[in-house]
Amino acid sequence: MSDYYYVAPTSVGESLKILHQSDSKIRIAAGCTNIMPDLKNKKNTDSVFMDISGLEELRGIQSDDNIIRIGALTTMNQILHSEVIEQGATALHQACRHFADPLVRNRATVGGNLANASPAADSVVPLFVLNAFVTVESMENGKREIPLADFLVAPGKSVLGPDDLITAVSFSKDTGVKSCFIKFGLRKAMAISVISIGVALKLDDHTVTDIRIALGSVAPTPIRARQTESYLTGREISPEVIKRAMEMVKSEITPISDIRASKEYRTHLAGILLRRAVEGALIEGGDIV
Amino acid sequence: MNFEKDVAIKVNINGIEIRSTVAAAESLLEFLRKHSETVDVKCGCSQGDCGTCTVVFEGQTVKSCLVLAAQANTKEIWTLKGLEKDPLMQKLQESFVRHGAVQCGFCTPGMLVAARGFLENNPNPDRAGIRDALSGNLCRCTGYQKIVDAVWTVASEKASERV
Amino acid sequence: MDTNVVGKGLPKFDAWPKAKGKIIYADDFSMPGMLYAKVLRSQHPAANILAVDTSQAKALPGVFAVLTAEDVLNNNLRAKFGQSTDVGAQFEGLYRVLAEKKIRFFGEAIALVAATSEKLAEEAIGLIEVTYEPLPGVFDPIEALQPGAYCVGESDNNVISRFKIRKGDVAEAFKTADIVIENTFRVPFSDHAYLEPESGVAWIDENEVITIRASTQVIEHFRTVAEVLGVPHNQVRVIGTWVGGGFGGKEDITVETFLALLTWKTRRPVKLTFTREESLLAHGKRHSFIIKHKLGATKDGLLVAAETELVADAGAYIYLSPWVLLYSTVNAVGPYNIPNVKVDTVAVLTNNPFGSAFRGFGAIQPNFAYESQIDELGRTLGIDPLTIRQKNCLHQGDALATGVTYDRYVALSDAAEKAWQALGPKRSSNSKNVKIGHGLAIGMMSYGRLTFLHDTSRSYVKIELDGSVLVRCGIPDLGAGQAQALCQIVGEELGVPQEKIKIYISDTALTPLAGTSTATRQLYMSGNATLKAAAAVRERLLTKAAMMLNTDKANLKLLNEKIVDVTNQDTSLSLKAVVGQCSTDGDELYSEAQFNAPFTDVPISEQITGQIFADFTFGAYAVAVAVDVETGAVTLERIIACFDIGKAINILNVEGQLEGGGLMSVGYALSENLIVEQGYLKSRSYREYLLPTAADVPDIETILIESGSGIGPYGAKGVGEPSGNAIAPAITNAICDAVGARVTTLPATPERVFFTMFPRS
Repeated sequence: MSDYYYVAPTSVGESLKILHQSDSKIRIAAGCTNIMPDLKNKKNTDSVFMDISGLEELRGIQSDDNIIRIGALTTMNQILHSEVIEQGATALHQACRHFADPLVRNRATVGGNLANASPAADSVVPLFVLNAFVTVESMENGKREIPLADFLVAPGKSVLGPDDLITAVSFSKDTGVKSCFIKFGLRKAMAISVISIGVALKLDDHTVTDIRIALGSVAPTPIRARQTESYLTGREISPEVIKRAMEMVKSEITPISDIRASKEYRTHLAGILLRRAVEGALIEGGDIV
Repeated sequence: MNFEKDVAIKVNINGIEIRSTVAAAESLLEFLRKHSETVDVKCGCSQGDCGTCTVVFEGQTVKSCLVLAAQANTKEIWTLKGLEKDPLMQKLQESFVRHGAVQCGFCTPGMLVAARGFLENNPNPDRAGIRDALSGNLCRCTGYQKIVDAVWTVASEKASERV
Repeated sequence: MDTNVVGKGLPKFDAWPKAKGKIIYADDFSMPGMLYAKVLRSQHPAANILAVDTSQAKALPGVFAVLTAEDVLNNNLRAKFGQSTDVGAQFEGLYRVLAEKKIRFFGEAIALVAATSEKLAEEAIGLIEVTYEPLPGVFDPIEALQPGAYCVGESDNNVISRFKIRKGDVAEAFKTADIVIENTFRVPFSDHAYLEPESGVAWIDENEVITIRASTQVIEHFRTVAEVLGVPHNQVRVIGTWVGGGFGGKEDITVETFLALLTWKTRRPVKLTFTREESLLAHGKRHSFIIKHKLGATKDGLLVAAETELVADAGAYIYLSPWVLLYSTVNAVGPYNIPNVKVDTVAVLTNNPFGSAFRGFGAIQPNFAYESQIDELGRTLGIDPLTIRQKNCLHQGDALATGVTYDRYVALSDAAEKAWQALGPKRSSNSKNVKIGHGLAIGMMSYGRLTFLHDTSRSYVKIELDGSVLVRCGIPDLGAGQAQALCQIVGEELGVPQEKIKIYISDTALTPLAGTSTATRQLYMSGNATLKAAAAVRERLLTKAAMMLNTDKANLKLLNEKIVDVTNQDTSLSLKAVVGQCSTDGDELYSEAQFNAPFTDVPISEQITGQIFADFTFGAYAVAVAVDVETGAVTLERIIACFDIGKAINILNVEGQLEGGGLMSVGYALSENLIVEQGYLKSRSYREYLLPTAADVPDIETILIESGSGIGPYGAKGVGEPSGNAIAPAITNAICDAVGARVTTLPATPERVFFTMFPRS
């Protein structure tokens, strides 16, 4: 039987020191909403739980002229109730509304959701279209800002090394951006996404000047539909253009068939939800399907 | 800093300070259920899918199977039994009983704690809001109907009190 | 009939303790020196067990017992189809405690461990080495029926039982029918998924009695446990706890035998609680069925013929499959007047999870088929859903397909009309991607057990010297208010307020055995037994009071703790005074009564005719849905249930059954997909097996019809299982109304609805 250990550092510095100095496999624990099921299902391979939930400096949402910065320990409920986010990052607000269920949202942190690196991660998809970057710290490499596009590598795997700690996720403020997130699940709460989509765009009259499209649960990691983005940039939104984009996005994803849905169905939904997410961004304030 | 296999904790459960030692990987739910006073907190799935283990942890309603017991050190936890003197809980309990919202009763402690936490922060909800608030608590007996009716009644009464 | 207590929506007496967290459920209970048990389960669905090495596990310090089949005195028991006394066991079929030689399903129990902690017990389980020789197995019932198929059990084929109904000449009738509708329907395995996993604690008392305190629907399993251990029946006592949900999943033995074996071996108290995943593996499922249904009618919509074949996947062991199959046979063509009927049913062994009891018990599956078919018929002929059913459904005095005439009130037409009209006109959709549909379905389901089981129940009512009352009844309470109903009946009969009535339930040693809390039988059977016992006490009190008052007994009534002369309100006696006199005179202030259901003979032929059930409950569901035509997602907008419940003993409890039963079948219809692949359970927890949450369903509106025509107390009918009938087809009928495509395989997930609308090329 494996032995487990626990440690609760009292500062970020102490946490980084522990990560750096220890030979043991350390799992960083905060909301524990993934750790506890992993323990129960014998999927946990780490032996030390480093509890950072007491590090208040990692909690909270800060907004200055240019950047919105969300501390890694900020919970989904805190993000959901943040006016700053509701005003400035609609897609992220919408994602939090349907994340798991209200009780889990009181504990699940944005840092944990990033570190868990699920292809279905509901906070990652909106952060992706907000062009977010993840602040990662370690004793040896100091503070790095990693674009979210470079952060996730494979299902359950990010670029985080054993010494790394996520301290924040940030994105630029841009009042011209309209965004929308849609989650498609098999029930209205406590559902792993069959597919999710985020769209953030800027318009000049009817012409798209900038668009970002991200999808979850249709590839090994959440992905950006770069071809579709590039097709839509500079184009005037019209039914024909949207139709073309719907077909294009379907060719950019590599879904699998699993217990929740077939790959054909996911592919079909990708097109439909792209259109709906664009519509939702245009009117800003859509909802889940 | 030392890595501890067995963690000494001091935790306030339902107003009573308890000192204990917990295993590093033990869940708060396991810890609570070891104590006969807190078996009102139920275990339905151990992985956060059913809500029967719902408690108040540092003022927030959470699923205790998703919390490490060691994280309870210096914290305050309230379970259904501990909230028996809380006026809002009493109103909810009375409403649940009167409406017939209790059948087998296994989901009831978690459901009541979740409902109370919701009403405390949302004094004027609509019925859809109540359903969303309880969407992390499964019930297999009632179809949720009388549970929603019971919470709605308390919310409506509170709203009319304020007028 | 005017009643004072019966009919009222009184809160159950167990509601407050439950709301206060005071109930000690099975896993909440502990004994000093208690050990913890774990079960080693098969990792293959079909395999030979070549060897089981428990030596390392036994050697682990803190482990007090490791048991396998060879440690069980009577590991194999056989039971017969018509056997009523040992209600959980199999029929001419095998009940096996622990796997021996051949594994038949994934998760089958192989070994038991008892240790000083759960963690140690788990560690010991990990140290048991099983050498398997995997076998090909068979996982499809049609394949299992073929000659030469892999044999799941020890006999040379996989057929458990077959039944049939023959009426008229369907072949001729179909030739002359104006219209024929033919479809194949598939319904999956379902799980009860009660919030409380199976659990119990067992110990040996000072009198060597093996005492098992467990969450169970059937305390009578004490007999089977005794036989497994080779001890007399009275050396096993089962104390049933307040059950955290049953629905049929705690009807068979779950933890009882394992606990008894371990406590007998270790001489220490032992606790066993299943994990959620283990619960999904270990107990029986609702049978998966493949149903071919052919319906013939005139162009005016009158049914002329119905032909149906039902194949039930019974999974790995027989359990209650023959009974489930019999229910499905009797219910196969539904509550309709059909002059020509041909029904053929078969239950087949496979290496899938075993099928057993689940709310609806074989009636719910054909209901999905026949209500879809009649709906399709109406749609094709341009006749609305209400009219097509009213034209053909049974009325009082009509005969079932088995030839039995039904002499009581049949509310089908009335219930269908009320439910349908309550839906009102369809709302218009404000989006071109969302289509609104309305659906209707009716259902008929029995309450009370199969009559050839010679069902009985007993209850004891005693009045104390101060006029308070004590009731003892073996009835397990699953949360539906089983015990509360008995208290209201006693209160009605004896004129005693509810606060002065205490009931003790569910103890094989201390309460009269009341039979199983299954088959929607308890209100009918134990309600009647309690009524009989209370009435007997009442009669003695009234006789005594008549003597004391020197008046005619016929004028006397028990009300509010007094005996009152209805012809002269000034003439009365306190209940206490009359009781006192009875006591002085040596009269018996208690009564234990037995109530018998109608007794019929065990069917000896495969062809089913004659009475099988005591009575039926009739009802209807009307449903409004919104279907997103681009995704197939279905939103339920309104659910209306209308049922004839005979007489509501407690309005809150009756509504609760309709709402809960309705919702359970909403899950069956839309989201609960118990996926089994090659015998492996893919839907292994609440994360994969999706129950509806509070956010997934609308309010459920209930309309009650009280015809008073039930054979339960005060004319009540049972509603626990009937409540789950009819809503699944009502939903798929509504989807068809919305989008013109009929889902014939459940669950109607968004993907299934979408590909039904737009079949894959």
